[in-house]
Amino acid sequence: MKKYITLILVLIITILSCEKDDICIDTTTPSLIIRFYDNDNQTETKQVLLDSVWANSKENIYKNQTLDSIIIPLDLTQNNTLYKLTSNSIEDEINFTYDRKDIFVSRSCGYKTIFENLQIDSNTSNWIKNININNSTIENDTAAHITIFH
Amino acid sequence: MTQQHILLFFISVLFTFTTNSQELQDTIKVKEVYGIRIGIDISKPINSFFNNETKGLEVVGDFRITRNYYAAVELGFLDKTTNEDYINFTTKGSYIKAGFNYNAYKNWKGMNNEIYVGLRYGFSIFNQTLNSYTPNVNGTYFIPETLQPATEFKDLTAQWIEFVFGMKVETFNNLYLGVSVSLNKMVNTKEPENFKNLHVPGFNRVFLNNTGVGFNYTLSYLIPILKKNK
Repeated sequence: MKKYITLILVLIITILSCEKDDICIDTTTPSLIIRFYDNDNQTETKQVLLDSVWANSKENIYKNQTLDSIIIPLDLTQNNTLYKLTSNSIEDEINFTYDRKDIFVSRSCGYKTIFENLQIDSNTSNWIKNININNSTIENDTAAHITIFH
Repeated sequence: MTQQHILLFFISVLFTFTTNSQELQDTIKVKEVYGIRIGIDISKPINSFFNNETKGLEVVGDFRITRNYYAAVELGFLDKTTNEDYINFTTKGSYIKAGFNYNAYKNWKGMNNEIYVGLRYGFSIFNQTLNSYTPNVNGTYFIPETLQPATEFKDLTAQWIEFVFGMKVETFNNLYLGVSVSLNKMVNTKEPENFKNLHVPGFNRVFLNNTGVGFNYTLSYLIPILKKNK
């Protein structure tokens, strides 16, 4: 009887002490996904040579890469983020504005921030011909939120 | 000489018989004590003493109904601050657990120990305060600020079921030391908005699958009320 109780106790403790909510495995704060399309043929994606992509007064996220999509984080301490994208030495600026909302995820992950009501406050059009917002609510990293035609 | 020996033999045989029969009568007449046992969980004040972020107290009591069944109650209070990687919150409230224990231990003559299994229904009413949190973001391009909303979620409730294993040992006359472990399963909770009851008084830490585990170290005193024959 006593032997069994100890065995049961040890078993319970080992099972419970390695619960999966100790490690954050859920998705947290999403990033903005931008996809590049051909301005002449608006159903086709078109790769772009990006010299640099950076948020105002920060370091580069992308440098000298040819891509058809980029994933960039939004500033979760402010309601706007200014991004600069340079292609073939031509610079364009996009100022994103949004509302922030913190949503509870789990014990180990805590809260994530989602962005609602995403708008483009201002932008320059040197190499970027047109910008389209596909989804003004950014709550996951699965599909492109913004389409840029060039 | 032989007659004397025979007499001695019969006397001694008779004597052993009488003593044996007296012993037999003794075992029949062993009385078991029925009463109310009241105590405290000593682990909780000790824990409060060593850990500034936890204050708790639990009073335990049981009442013997039949030979092996005891009605059992636990009443407690908890004020605990939990610090996780991205959140810090305080749980404050009180709880009651009521149910029964079944003693599966066959005592020797005159002993009053227990190895028991039990079932409890638990109810708690409490407040959760979200002291601070840091939004969780991958990477370090934008570093999030720690926010201190101090949002208080009031009048939350929880109901659960507990399976208890434990033992009680009579150390001095009527003074019992007990240890028990309980497995808890949440039945229903009133959850805060945009937060979760991650800790519930009496239930302890709420695991992902709505289960919990509890430990008790009790010191209790038996107030005898009546003595019944076995």
